[in-house]
Amino acid sequence: MSNTKTPPRASAQPVFWTHAQQLEKLPPCQAQCPNSGDVRGWLGIIAQHEKTGLTLEQAYDRAWEKLTELNPLPATLGRICPHPCEDLCSRRDKDGSVSINAMERYIGDWGLARSLKWSVPAQSEKPESIGVIGSGPASLSFTYQMARRGYQVSLYERHAVAGGMLRQAIPDFRLPREVLDAEIQRLFELPVTLHKNTEVGLDISLNELRDRHALIFLGLGAQGAHRLGIPGEAGPGVVSGIAYLRRRKQRLALTTGRRVVVIGGGNTAIDAARCARREGAEVTVLYRRSAKEMPAATNEVDDARAEGVRFEFLVSPTQVLRKGPVIQWIEVQAMRLGAPDEQGRRRPVPIPGEKRLLRVDTVIVAVSQAPDWAGLDLEQDDTQWLMTEEDGRLAENLWAGGDDRGPAIAGKAIAQGRLAAEAAHAELSGTRRPLECQERRTLNMGEIKPDFYRDQERECQARRPQEEWLDSAEPEIDQTIGHEQAQREAARCMSCGLCFDCEACFMYCNGGGFTRLEESRPGHYFALSLDACEGCGKCIEVCPCGYLEVRESSANGSDQ
Amino acid sequence: MTMVEDLGRLSKRSGPQSSSLQDGSRIAVVGAGPAGSLFSYFLLNMAEAVSLDIGVDLFEPRHFCHRGPAGCNHCGGIVSESLVQRLATEGIMLPDGVVQRGIESYTLHMDVGDVEIETPLAEKRIAAIYRGNGPRNSEPLDTHSFDGYLLELAQEKGANLVPRLVTGVRREDNRMRVTCADQYCNDYDLAVIATGVNSRLVESLEDESREFRRPGRTKTFICEFLLGRDVIRDTFGPSMHVFFLDIPRLKFAALIPKGDYVTLCLLGKDIDDELMQQFFSSPEVMNCFPKGTVPSHVCHCYPRINIDAANPAYSDRLVMIGDSGTTRLFKDGIGASYRTAKAAARTVVFHGTGAEDFEKYYAPTCRAISKDNQVGKVVFGFGSLIQKSRFARRGVLRMTANEQKNANGSRRMSEVLWDLFSGSASYTDVFLRTLHPAYIGSLLWNLVAGNSPSASSRNGHGRGQECDRVEH
Repeated sequence: MSNTKTPPRASAQPVFWTHAQQLEKLPPCQAQCPNSGDVRGWLGIIAQHEKTGLTLEQAYDRAWEKLTELNPLPATLGRICPHPCEDLCSRRDKDGSVSINAMERYIGDWGLARSLKWSVPAQSEKPESIGVIGSGPASLSFTYQMARRGYQVSLYERHAVAGGMLRQAIPDFRLPREVLDAEIQRLFELPVTLHKNTEVGLDISLNELRDRHALIFLGLGAQGAHRLGIPGEAGPGVVSGIAYLRRRKQRLALTTGRRVVVIGGGNTAIDAARCARREGAEVTVLYRRSAKEMPAATNEVDDARAEGVRFEFLVSPTQVLRKGPVIQWIEVQAMRLGAPDEQGRRRPVPIPGEKRLLRVDTVIVAVSQAPDWAGLDLEQDDTQWLMTEEDGRLAENLWAGGDDRGPAIAGKAIAQGRLAAEAAHAELSGTRRPLECQERRTLNMGEIKPDFYRDQERECQARRPQEEWLDSAEPEIDQTIGHEQAQREAARCMSCGLCFDCEACFMYCNGGGFTRLEESRPGHYFALSLDACEGCGKCIEVCPCGYLEVRESSANGSDQ
Repeated sequence: MTMVEDLGRLSKRSGPQSSSLQDGSRIAVVGAGPAGSLFSYFLLNMAEAVSLDIGVDLFEPRHFCHRGPAGCNHCGGIVSESLVQRLATEGIMLPDGVVQRGIESYTLHMDVGDVEIETPLAEKRIAAIYRGNGPRNSEPLDTHSFDGYLLELAQEKGANLVPRLVTGVRREDNRMRVTCADQYCNDYDLAVIATGVNSRLVESLEDESREFRRPGRTKTFICEFLLGRDVIRDTFGPSMHVFFLDIPRLKFAALIPKGDYVTLCLLGKDIDDELMQQFFSSPEVMNCFPKGTVPSHVCHCYPRINIDAANPAYSDRLVMIGDSGTTRLFKDGIGASYRTAKAAARTVVFHGTGAEDFEKYYAPTCRAISKDNQVGKVVFGFGSLIQKSRFARRGVLRMTANEQKNANGSRRMSEVLWDLFSGSASYTDVFLRTLHPAYIGSLLWNLVAGNSPSASSRNGHGRGQECDRVEH
């Protein structure tokens, strides 16, 4: 019968095949980190240590090695970094972002406690000598990267000790100097020489250095401070935030009086305010916008409030009133928020007629930092930041990084130092730069399947009791997390975009497409056979971390 | 760090035999498909009846609320009416959200014509269900997972759901140690394997053991077509469409309407592209779909099904239920899960958890299923013969069509086909009915009449004749 009928239309084949492929993606933490820190990598070593046959101790050692490939100062950054890595952590909306910063600190402290050392491969010694001006995070990062590649590095620092702003400006209660000392000390175990108390432009000229070294790196920082530009500002009793912090760190005599007013809303302003509280002063921070616009880290602001720092918002100083040289009053103008500026922050606008006087003994001005390379004989004046190429190249054999290219967080300075070193090394040695992780595709929201992960509360750092915060010894407030906490926290990492051996694909593939690799390491546990793949896409959908995805050539339309 | 089963050690029966559950005993059930969930449900029910206080950890890392393959459990999704009734006697009523469509008839498609077989008795209904939460990208309308529903029942009874992937079960000091991919590890008084045959676990059990052989498997094909509720009502109706086609190696093919989707199930020997190509391009299949065109599917997989049983399906403190142990050939796997789950639960509560307890009280259920499967092979063998012969197909079509026309007469062929397609009756029962003289006599007559020169014109007016649909 059927053969007498009209032949049916052309046969339609089912075409929705979803063959799988394994593809590593850029996790959100790494994408957010200015230094592209491989957070997933070093957490994975700890979380998966049993799977890779490591003891916990070995795992922490290796995690430290992995972490310090890109950042030579983990105990330091683990304390001071505002950790943008945690902002978009895939775990955030489930049960809180992974405490990445606390983990970095833990691993940094682990490395210090165990006196872990870096190795410089034998026969990697290079003939070129490198000069680095300044010893802040950018310079230290550049130095570290070059020294590990076998270069002889000379650091020129105008102060007696290395560390730049990390040492000069960050108070002990946030970063104890012993921690910074120990981490910097470790750098000098590499072929690095420190020329201390040497100010380039004064003790030695830049041109001399350029003759002496094959290549120069400028890590000058942002040593200048903007002034308010109001009547009465010049004279005793008005000090910049950076100068104040520096004097305090150097334990120089300070007389601020009872009433201190801090102008500004950045981290320097908050640090200065908290330091002044430790001097016993009554401290008020004046900020010309509202609390919401304040650029300082929220937790620092909260801590400052807890310590008794007062905040006044929507006020702007208009003049400093003195009796003779002695500061008496500061006149402030009330503001309101107007239209947004080019950065989207609402511009403060004065409210006519609303001015008042505040009684004050010292004014700390921490409005913003400025370039300062007087005497250096740079071709560029110091009214603007150094304009380098993306990789930090400023001129022939002259590189730069850090705040001298515009103020940013320490992590950014470390990144710029590292990237400049990679590029400089590539140029000197005629090799190619390492591939940047950024070239991988970023994991899309939705590729992570949070409900395949069990709930596990975020571990937080213990804090010193609040009544001890203002102690004259300036004890550190945050404490390193405990060993068990660290282990639990490492296990909370979802390993976004990279296999962590959950075995779901292996266990569920109908076709037996996955085979266990004999030599496994984090991220590499299974091989996928394309011959065995039946295109059902199940592995992709049970892969919790988004490592498996649809193979391009297979999606909709292609033949089976 | 071996995460795999060491069944080789299972044979070394150490310590006193015939262990039984006591207050505080802990049981690990691996897999929360129907077998695992029903086992947990029955176990806790029976334990409660004898005032035994035990703890059940039910391991299932997946979520049946997920759509597409992630939440799915590979199956055509037909619950036979005998199972619906059995579940009802246990107090388990399938809610409306679980039942995608009550199936009221089968439509048998052959090259010689189509015939619709109605439900033999008014109360004989079968239910089309989704094991997970519907196909990939489907809308979360009123779908409710069958497996998810049973899991909820087990949890209500007190089973503790452990959302971890079990990767190893091995004996440690006369207890069963369950290890998971995330390095979780715990010891139990009894381990119940209910992972089915599509998980690696049974394979790793076998790999590590010389004492155990996992069930033999064959590849099937299942896919989903998105057609929309209205189109499905108009083209498929509340009917499951079964194909008797002369395609080499094809054993069984059915289209099952479910909500906005139609599920296709293909069973056969070595399902491959060639077989599927032949199937999809056969006019009987194409004409089932609107405009005679098979659309692209939205979701597919090649699940493996059992062709025989695990051997052995138990040991001391270890028992395999559902597909991991044994199941019915081609049909009614959920029904077999129910039977093995209940038999295993009864054994461990009322007798013990030793190998000899399972041998005495659990094995008979497994053997009965295996024996019936032997008969099933013969029945399907006959089916293949009919599929291969146009002569036979005409006889079957005529006999069925005439039975369906005749409201009061006996419906021997219709009932045989119904029970065969739905899995409602045992294969032995089906086979015995085909040996009845009246069945044979009627079939012989229809073979002659159906193939006589005037047959085609007569069939043209038959109740079951569906040619008109093919023609327009």
